[in-house]
Amino acid sequence: MEIKFIIIITVALFFIALVQLMKIYDLAAKVRGEKSQEKVSRSENMLMANLMLVFMVVFFGFVIWLISKYGSNSGLYTSATIHGRDIDELLMFNWWIILPVFFITNTLLFGFSWKYYHREERTALYYPHNNKLEAVWTIVPAIVLAFIVIYGLMTWNKIMYNQEKGEIVEVYGYQFGWIVRYSGVDNTLGKADYKMVSATNPLGVITESTIKDTYLEIDQRVNDIDSILSNNINGDGEYLLPESKVDKLQEELDRHKRRKYRIEASIDRKENNVNVYESSNDDIIVQEIHLVKDQPYTFKFRSKDVIHCPWFPHFRAQINAVPGMETSFALTPTITTAEMRADPDVQKHWENINVIHNERKRRIGEEEERVLFDYVLMCNKICGAGHSNMQLKVIVETQEEFNNWIENNGDNKRLTFSGQEVSWSKTKEQASL
Amino acid sequence: MAHDTHHHKESFITKYLFSQDHKMIAKQYLLTAIFMGAIGITLSALFRMKLGWPDERFPLLESILGSDAAPDGLLDSNWYLGLVTLHGTIMVFFVLTGGLSGTFSNLLIPLQVGARDMASGLLNMIAYWLFFLSSVLMAASLFIETGPAMAGWTVYPPLSVLAEFQPGSGLGMTLWLLSMTVFIASSLIGGINYIVTILNLRTKGMTMTRLPLTIWAFFITAILGVLSFPVLLSAAVLLLMDRGFGTSFYMSDIVTSSGALDATGGSPILYEHLFWFLGHPEVYIILLPALGMTSEIISTCSRKPIFGYRAMIGSMLAIGFLSFIVWGHHMFLTGMNPFLGGVFTFTTLLIAIPSAVKAFNYITTIWKGNVIMTPAMLFCIGSVSTFISGGLTGIILADSALDISQHDTYFVVGHFHIVMGMTAILGMFAGIYHWFPKMYGKSMNKRMGMVHFWITIVCGYGVFLPMHFLGEGGLPRRYYENTNFPMFDHFLDLNIMISIFASVGVIAQVIFFFNFFYSIFRGPKSSQNPWNANSLEWTTPVEHVHGNWIGEIPTVHRWPYDYSKPGKDTDFVPQHIPLDDNEEEH
Ligand code: HEM
Ligand SMILES: [Cu+2]
Ligand SMILES: [Cu+2]
Repeated sequence: MEIKFIIIITVALFFIALVQLMKIYDLAAKVRGEKSQEKVSRSENMLMANLMLVFMVVFFGFVIWLISKYGSNSGLYTSATIHGRDIDELLMFNWWIILPVFFITNTLLFGFSWKYYHREERTALYYPHNNKLEAVWTIVPAIVLAFIVIYGLMTWNKIMYNQEKGEIVEVYGYQFGWIVRYSGVDNTLGKADYKMVSATNPLGVITESTIKDTYLEIDQRVNDIDSILSNNINGDGEYLLPESKVDKLQEELDRHKRRKYRIEASIDRKENNVNVYESSNDDIIVQEIHLVKDQPYTFKFRSKDVIHCPWFPHFRAQINAVPGMETSFALTPTITTAEMRADPDVQKHWENINVIHNERKRRIGEEEERVLFDYVLMCNKICGAGHSNMQLKVIVETQEEFNNWIENNGDNKRLTFSGQEVSWSKTKEQASL
Repeated sequence: MAHDTHHHKESFITKYLFSQDHKMIAKQYLLTAIFMGAIGITLSALFRMKLGWPDERFPLLESILGSDAAPDGLLDSNWYLGLVTLHGTIMVFFVLTGGLSGTFSNLLIPLQVGARDMASGLLNMIAYWLFFLSSVLMAASLFIETGPAMAGWTVYPPLSVLAEFQPGSGLGMTLWLLSMTVFIASSLIGGINYIVTILNLRTKGMTMTRLPLTIWAFFITAILGVLSFPVLLSAAVLLLMDRGFGTSFYMSDIVTSSGALDATGGSPILYEHLFWFLGHPEVYIILLPALGMTSEIISTCSRKPIFGYRAMIGSMLAIGFLSFIVWGHHMFLTGMNPFLGGVFTFTTLLIAIPSAVKAFNYITTIWKGNVIMTPAMLFCIGSVSTFISGGLTGIILADSALDISQHDTYFVVGHFHIVMGMTAILGMFAGIYHWFPKMYGKSMNKRMGMVHFWITIVCGYGVFLPMHFLGEGGLPRRYYENTNFPMFDHFLDLNIMISIFASVGVIAQVIFFFNFFYSIFRGPKSSQNPWNANSLEWTTPVEHVHGNWIGEIPTVHRWPYDYSKPGKDTDFVPQHIPLDDNEEEH
């Protein structure tokens, strides 16, 4: 309340001050004999023209300061993937065309505005057109753009039509986080379906046992609802519950029944063909992405609820995760996390980040900590309240380190679908089976 | 539509509220747009506070937005997205589409083509009131408890379908859709009226190649709108059905906390195609009127013909045409066929050619001119600068390969604010300063206009240039806070700087509001042709009359850009002055 009052007073005062200023200004103008607001005086023209020049210098200075402070990648440093370096090169190529054009055209614009400001004794040149000139600035940009297009499309095609068969890893987005599934020795992800998703089967993987579990779960819920409904009914067949509640329950009941029916009809292969589920036996679900240096990967993305966009800034890789379809992106990491941390530039940058990070921690009264460089996966498509915190750690390491992690990570093992111990001492040759 | 020129008695209601006079309707549009603009930019200043000072509590926020939105002065993360969404929606649709076209197409089309009024005054009035209604609905959605639409101005499903995904997808989203439906109806009615007026009601001698570039711009804009808004309407209708009637046009394979939904077979990608089929032309619906007005003002204030009149028309036509075959550049990363992505890269980069032509033509118009630095001209110079700067970064985003590392980062936010937001807003300000005398018969204070310009351009670039570097650092847009990732900590100071520029820029607009309203009531009376301009609107009397001209509508004998023509006594020759013997047209 108080604040509202203060705001109103401030705004009111501001307006009163402005009105007074205007009055003084009007008066001064009258004294000086200026008649209208329409004619711009010679001194005003000159002042504005000079300001154009001043502005241009400040503007360019600002751009140059930003470039020198943040460089072309603002702290992301060298791309850690093969295709990422192609993208960075293409980006630099574009900058080298764009920046000179930016400086030259803005200079012409502000320069001419400054040079040709209005003076009574001057006359403008009557120069309505010049076909030759116009042809020049149609054709020259066209040629330059042709280079940009060709180079750009070559890079695009190289990235998107990447035929190298990589190790398949699935990333599943949900509000608000990611689940990762490695495809295991067979390099094939077990089939999954959204109708199978449940608390114990977050990815909806289809196996004999998950189908059984799902039936069980559905039947349980159906029974629960049935009994709630039948316990709350009186002799006349009227429900003792509020109508809206009954409707809700009945709606849910129908939904469960439909779901079961659809699983039976379209997913459950019964005993006929059990080995269709086999590929999920060695799949492993984890909460961190570990990648082996120089190993090609093919990421498969799905989404549980809304559109997400897995974004690996250091890999220069992203593609939408869309409910109802699978997308994929192939990449080959080339620098391990440890190597990146050892890079002198990165180290210096992260020293600085630590200073800023802990200054803030102190300010808000949280415990200080040492933060280290890490690759991350984040979400880059608006998806709700937690959009800005959908992070997952990504670690690039050597084959030995990877084997060590996967073998010794008990949690991971428990989540394999066969329930068996799977050996993950995989080599590249096996992956490319 | 031959109006009698005698004055009939009018009541307050027919004169100010349900007027069918295009000049009054233009003013109504402008006031509505200014009101919505004030809301839109205030929202941006508010949510920028969260980004600049992520840990600070601002009691101010709670008192403005209420305790749902900012409990204890800390902006809620759902509401953050709500503010961003409404900011974007209001700026794009209400200020720069409805407001910009509505104001200046209405004001200038009849006056500059030499018509007594719009083809249909009644439809024109209806279009305005629909626009007003949609503005009210949109603004009202800020006051509901669960908040306004929160799925971004593009309102992609499935996020925008279920309130379970975010609270704003409940009532807020319903209001958004209703408002937009009404808005689209208004745009279509308005657009058809503009097109018909330009085609049919030109005065004698006003051939298509003697039209001022403003009219060409409004003409092409209206065509774009009429062709693309219906597609948005169908997208919105399908979305309404998915939300309310259990269809699944956009939904498939979705699991919510209450289990798997029934919806199968739809695709959110379909929505994206429909949305961007409007969405990209929309960018030019915003830009072209501003570019048309800057062409006119730059020529007038440089006392020099616009350079390459026909090339300017040609490039606008080319831009208009191309804008329909580039929408896929918003969708490179939806998993679309890479070949299609390549095609869209190609068509998108083609647009750079007519855009370059326009930019060079502007610069050549100023070259060897005699530039009068009216506030309107200052805003035009600024607008050309942002058009160039923002257009250049567009080359990067058009490149599908580069989009892989730039898509939806702050680079995009910086890019579109400069090229679309600033260019159009600066152009709109230029138009207001330039045609204010025509609208109100008064002049605005020039010094305040100058101050307003300099603060606006400095703050504008101050806000949006640094955003490119945030984006190069990988920072995604629509992030409520950047503090969850230590890798973004080094942007803390840059974000503070942006937020300061933003607040100063927003507060500085008070200078404009004040100047505008003060001048309506207290400004000095303007002269009939204050800028010594050639186009027909300046031949009408300062006091508005029905039918625009007392007596005959002037006949047109030349193009509108005969400034500083050799062999003339004055440095301008209005369009209705006949050619001398053996004078060449141009
Ligand atoms: C005071 C001036 C302005 C400031 C400080 C400002 C700032 C911002 C910021 C910080 C965002 C959020 C970006 C994100 O997280 O994605 C945003 C979004 C947006 N702004 Fe502005 N803006 C301003 C003026 C404008 C203007 C003139 C336009 C007109 C085109 C505009 C159109 C948009 C749009 C379309 C969005 C996207 C909304 C969305 O992501 O759904 N803004 N603005
Ligand atoms: Cu997400
Ligand atoms: Cu576009």
